[in-house]
Amino acid sequence: MRKPHSKVLILCLVLAGPAVLSAAPLPIVSWDFLGGGDGVKWTQLVNDFNASQSAYQVTSTTLPWGVEFYTRVHTGVVAGETADVMTYHLSHFPTGIKMGDLRPISDAELKSVGLSYKDFNPTLVAYSQADSKAYGKDGVLYGVPLDTHTVVIYYNKDLLTKAGVLGMNGKPNGTAGIDTFTATLKKIKDATGALPITTSSGNDTGGPWRLWYTLFSQMGGTLVKNGKLDLSAMDTTGKKALQTFHDWASQGLINTDTDYGAAVALFTSGKAAFMINGNWEVPTMVDLAKNGKLGFDYGVMAFPKLFDKGASFADSHELAIPNNMKNPLSAEKLKGVLTFIAYVEKHADVWAGGGHLPAYLPVLNGKELAAMSPNNQYSVDAAKIVSFEPNTPVFGVGGTIYTAFTNFMTPALTGQISIDDAVSQFKNEVTKLSM
Amino acid sequence: MSHAVEITDVPADTRRSRKLRTGNPAVAIPLLAPFLVLFLAFIVYPTVRVIMLSFTDADIAGVGGWIGARNYARIVRDKDFWLALWHTVYFVLLTVVPNTLIGLLFAFLVVRMKRFRGLAQALFFLSYVLPVSVVTQIWLWVLEKNYGIINYIFTLNVSWFRTAVPAMPATAFVTVWWTVGFNVLMFVAGLTAIPREYYEAASLDGARGGFKLFRFITWPLLWPVTSLVLVLQLIAQWQIFNQVYLLTFGGPFNRTRVVLLYMYQQAFNQQHGGYGATISMALFLIILVTSIVQIRVLRVRAL
Repeated sequence: MRKPHSKVLILCLVLAGPAVLSAAPLPIVSWDFLGGGDGVKWTQLVNDFNASQSAYQVTSTTLPWGVEFYTRVHTGVVAGETADVMTYHLSHFPTGIKMGDLRPISDAELKSVGLSYKDFNPTLVAYSQADSKAYGKDGVLYGVPLDTHTVVIYYNKDLLTKAGVLGMNGKPNGTAGIDTFTATLKKIKDATGALPITTSSGNDTGGPWRLWYTLFSQMGGTLVKNGKLDLSAMDTTGKKALQTFHDWASQGLINTDTDYGAAVALFTSGKAAFMINGNWEVPTMVDLAKNGKLGFDYGVMAFPKLFDKGASFADSHELAIPNNMKNPLSAEKLKGVLTFIAYVEKHADVWAGGGHLPAYLPVLNGKELAAMSPNNQYSVDAAKIVSFEPNTPVFGVGGTIYTAFTNFMTPALTGQISIDDAVSQFKNEVTKLSM
Repeated sequence: MSHAVEITDVPADTRRSRKLRTGNPAVAIPLLAPFLVLFLAFIVYPTVRVIMLSFTDADIAGVGGWIGARNYARIVRDKDFWLALWHTVYFVLLTVVPNTLIGLLFAFLVVRMKRFRGLAQALFFLSYVLPVSVVTQIWLWVLEKNYGIINYIFTLNVSWFRTAVPAMPATAFVTVWWTVGFNVLMFVAGLTAIPREYYEAASLDGARGGFKLFRFITWPLLWPVTSLVLVLQLIAQWQIFNQVYLLTFGGPFNRTRVVLLYMYQQAFNQQHGGYGATISMALFLIILVTSIVQIRVLRVRAL
């Protein structure tokens, strides 16, 4: 009896042994919308996390950016088939929280992995908590902020030198105040024949909206009052901001009807002096310069103060947990998700390679970031002037506001319709869309 | 096309065997089951769901309450819907007849070729094989405002897809370019099926000139094909969505927003699943009615 019995026992140990000694890592599914340079950094963070420990294995799937992503999340939540963790935009919180797509993440849960609400950029936390209060549970966060990303200005030092507008400090002269800046743009055009500003204004719906919103915010405009959509400023400040953009276009100081890729190519090929775009194009510039494929010296600056106050369009990438009511996260998986979030936050210097300003204060104020070029040229200034979209559901990345803007406001830049018509039709459309 | 004629002429033994099969449900049901299950699951069930959804205020995930015919009352008064419908009609006008005529013209050219006919036919069909995303990407480049080859050759500065007047015709043009190959194929088949003898007999009887031969022989004998092409075209073009979604997204100022794009924006951008379903139902009824009318008026024999 004894002999065969012990054989069985040994067999069991052999079979079960590896599982007991080193349990197979718990799989964690992640959804993201990150392409281009962001996608590369994200993959690196996921791989680094998987290599850093053996308890969890994160697999991230990239889905289409914008409305499609958020529709997918919502249908997933309703069907009970979601990822365990996902990337999200701060500007989509009002809609996402209202529709019940997001699981709140408490301070206590963050503390279990060595993080706290207090560790993050207070502006972002306050903004996010205002969303929580208005559309969900007061006091909690529906996502952990990863970064702030904003509109910056890239400049071609060679062209600016040729036009005599590059200062000794390597930064452009004559950028403060709208009249001074416009004069500088004309000077560049006359002296070099290059396009003064390139910006995306074609098939990409976000570009013109972001630039207009930056100008509008600098003029003190707002589209929300007491937490409600209020378009009254459109008739005054809104028109003035569109007029500024239109005047640059009609004088040939900025391009119109240029698709995103073409707009970036105009700058990287040295045909434009400035590029107004998000900080997410930093990796493009860094890579081109590193490979010796950029034929000029470049710099990046925060959006200059042209009107009453400094402001530049901004949004924030967040790490959030889908609110899967049918199949809620097990305590074990939640721990894995939080561990992953903590890892990404503590290694946000990798993420900053995408040009973004990290939200996690120890990284934002850390040595690595201060030494990182070109981030150190704009990060400090840009962080002070970020202007987020209003906290109401009609706004939000890639959504209805983008479509309405492209549809009615962008045609006014080329004079297809008058500024008055554009603004009144835009107001009409946004009012309808917000119902 | 010649199959349509043969069906009325079923051989006697086939008829007998059909009778045998219908008489034995125990054999028929298992044989039909795989098709029936798929048909019920993927055609009937979704259709019933859409009809039900159109009576609710559901969001895009289908969660919502029953609101009776309120969506239908709303669509009748919805100016944006009627405008979208008009844009769709405009697109249909710009595509259905031109696409048929151009297909016929190209088919004439192909049929007359003595050498390389197969090659020419294949070349005309080539664009039809391309996916819509590739087609729209090609034309976005060709018609690009700043660097597009068309603006370069003709020294123009037109933003084809983002200017109100040319946006819809340009979209229609891309559609014709993309799909005309299929019509060419249909017409080539139709033209080849017309017996040579008719033309010879007509010439012997003194018919002179290509037009007379076309008017009295080709056109009437080709009519079954032509009418079928017209019906298929109409059904396809009413459902315009992809090209508009990829080329203009309904702009500028909603001038190219067609019914299905409006449905998409309501259902997927604004989370009004119930109203989106109502818009789909409206388009379904419009296509159904116009197709029946067209089949009656054109006396489509093949259907």
